[in-house]
Amino acid sequence: MSWTHDELVNEVRSLIREHSDEGLDITEKSELVADLGIDSLGVMEVVADIEDKFDMTIADNELREVATMGDVVAAIEGRLKADGRLKVEA
Amino acid sequence: MSESLRTVVQALEDASESTRTGYRFVEESSTAEPFFTYSGVERATARYGGALQALGLTKGDRVALILPDNQDFVFAFLGALRIGVIPVPIYPPAGLRKLGGYLENTLHIVDKSGARLIVTDSDIRRLLGTVQAAASSLDKIVAVDTIRKSREPLSPVKIGLDDTCFLQFTSGSTSAPKGVVISHRNVAANVHAFMHDGLNIESGVDSGVSWLPLYHDMGLIGFVLGPLYYRNTVTYLPPLLFLKRPIRWLETISRLRATISFGPNFAYALCVKRVRDKDMQGLDLTSWRVAGCGAEPIRAGNLRDFADKFAAVGFNRRALLPCYGMAEATLAISFDNLGEGLRSDVIDAEVLAAEGTAKPLEGDGTDGLEVVNCGKVFDNHEVAVFAPDDAASEHPLADRCVGELRLRGPSITSGYFNDPQLTEQAFAGDWLSTGDIGYLVDGDIFVCGRRKELIIVNGRNYYPQDLEWQASRVSGVRKGNVIAFGTRKPLNDRERVVVVFETTVADQQARETLKHEVRKAVRQATGLSIDDVVDLDAGVLPKTSSGKLRRSETCRLYETGQLFGRVSAREGDAVGIAKEIAKSQLGYVRDAIFGDKK
Repeated sequence: MSWTHDELVNEVRSLIREHSDEGLDITEKSELVADLGIDSLGVMEVVADIEDKFDMTIADNELREVATMGDVVAAIEGRLKADGRLKVEA
Repeated sequence: MSESLRTVVQALEDASESTRTGYRFVEESSTAEPFFTYSGVERATARYGGALQALGLTKGDRVALILPDNQDFVFAFLGALRIGVIPVPIYPPAGLRKLGGYLENTLHIVDKSGARLIVTDSDIRRLLGTVQAAASSLDKIVAVDTIRKSREPLSPVKIGLDDTCFLQFTSGSTSAPKGVVISHRNVAANVHAFMHDGLNIESGVDSGVSWLPLYHDMGLIGFVLGPLYYRNTVTYLPPLLFLKRPIRWLETISRLRATISFGPNFAYALCVKRVRDKDMQGLDLTSWRVAGCGAEPIRAGNLRDFADKFAAVGFNRRALLPCYGMAEATLAISFDNLGEGLRSDVIDAEVLAAEGTAKPLEGDGTDGLEVVNCGKVFDNHEVAVFAPDDAASEHPLADRCVGELRLRGPSITSGYFNDPQLTEQAFAGDWLSTGDIGYLVDGDIFVCGRRKELIIVNGRNYYPQDLEWQASRVSGVRKGNVIAFGTRKPLNDRERVVVVFETTVADQQARETLKHEVRKAVRQATGLSIDDVVDLDAGVLPKTSSGKLRRSETCRLYETGQLFGRVSAREGDAVGIAKEIAKSQLGYVRDAIFGDKK
């Protein structure tokens, strides 16, 4: 399956929403831990969900560079692009 | 003891005869599972040791290890031991938060240990620039790839039982880390105690599976050093893989027919929460004869839920084994009886609060407090309960009297590295003061509260001082007028973290913003999510006559709803919850026994 950027953002947002505090506005600038109240175990759940959804494995060292939802989207996008699974928007 | 004590190095040389058992390393990204027999481990660790010698390290030097990869960690750790160099394991950066706090903590540990070298992977090495610049003892930071490829021969070094084996930095607040000194004699004594007396281990036959981090004593002593002495095979999973997919732990035990695996309480709770029924198909846990649980307070309900859920795939509830221990005792000090499963004591909470004794609950009273039995202290070791103010440990308390658990024996550390003052404080007479609160019944150890004020969430320790420091940096918070503490409500499988601060800001909207900023500051620095933030007017926090903040009094006021007339904005039935919390182990016991000494 392949995704456009907007589809990707929406999908990641809804995955993250399941693990974050209720009623928060989740933007690409939101930090998973600091802003959204996801604890360290919750973060690993998010990662597992992302791996399942996008059929990829996210290595531990990739997590070190990630803080915001935007970072998460960028990391996934990079991988999808490398696999030729990113739709180019018209 | 039935055998003479050996250093870890001697145990490794002895084990190297084994061409059948050894260490197996599961990797997330590959189905290959490199297996090294102990003969192979001997060769690999000689290479790592030789490389460290070639880098100029000699006996007694310290080397900090920041190695997320299990295989690198095991070989570098044992390689250092073989040349008499003292490893200092440090946890790797976890990611998803700002690096500042991590680097600060790492720098403090490197400074305190006086490490000459950090060995890490090339990714982490790039992040450690500020540590390199600021640590005065540090010669350099070496990427483990260069050590891996080294062909430098190892020059044998004579190692004795009283030489320091390694430093375990697990406790102490960020600004003042404490390095527990563990000698080869401590390791040999403790390994004998838990492998032989505790597990009745079958040398070379029993096999273990561990996802535990190797920079922590349960993973390192329990699943690297213990098995080495008895030549048992151990399979390691990356800790983050377990946190991401808990099922992998159980699958690995099932697939390899492993007999022994341990985890903290939260690991069992995580499996109950995250393992789906469809993932359990094909799982067979009948081989698992010891499912140990320790390192954080044990909650009987979590373990029972685990046993209930996994009974369907052959988990034997009698395999559950509650344990008690701490880094200052090398690893373990007691295991409950093998094969008996979870045993617990239900005591009367009212009597406990009023008299400080653990009286079994009569009838079906609702004021029962369930405390897990951690078994008897290992042979050659002693445990006793003392009143906290019995500074010379002169008057051990009778059975069922609740007080501080204190320990003696060959597993107990000589003290904290380079810190005579903290070392002196750690002992009461010649007994180690654990700070844990509990009682004894016919020698069985019951722990009802752990170290005063320490907050443990998901197996990690947090010091209230660290959270308070971060919160007090937020503009608008009154400096020095912040209190952080942990509290438990029985319905939750983890501790709730509360931060209370004073402010002179009057505007309600501005106060809400301030609370949000406090949450954010603590999360960014520590990765810990605060469950409740309470804003108070200036002068409301309880203080001693000398002006010191009273943390446990604040906790008590919070738990009983007196701090601000409500327990938490999130709780519907505040009175009911407050009652439940008052009955919970920590608040009750801490106040009943220790009062408020701060």
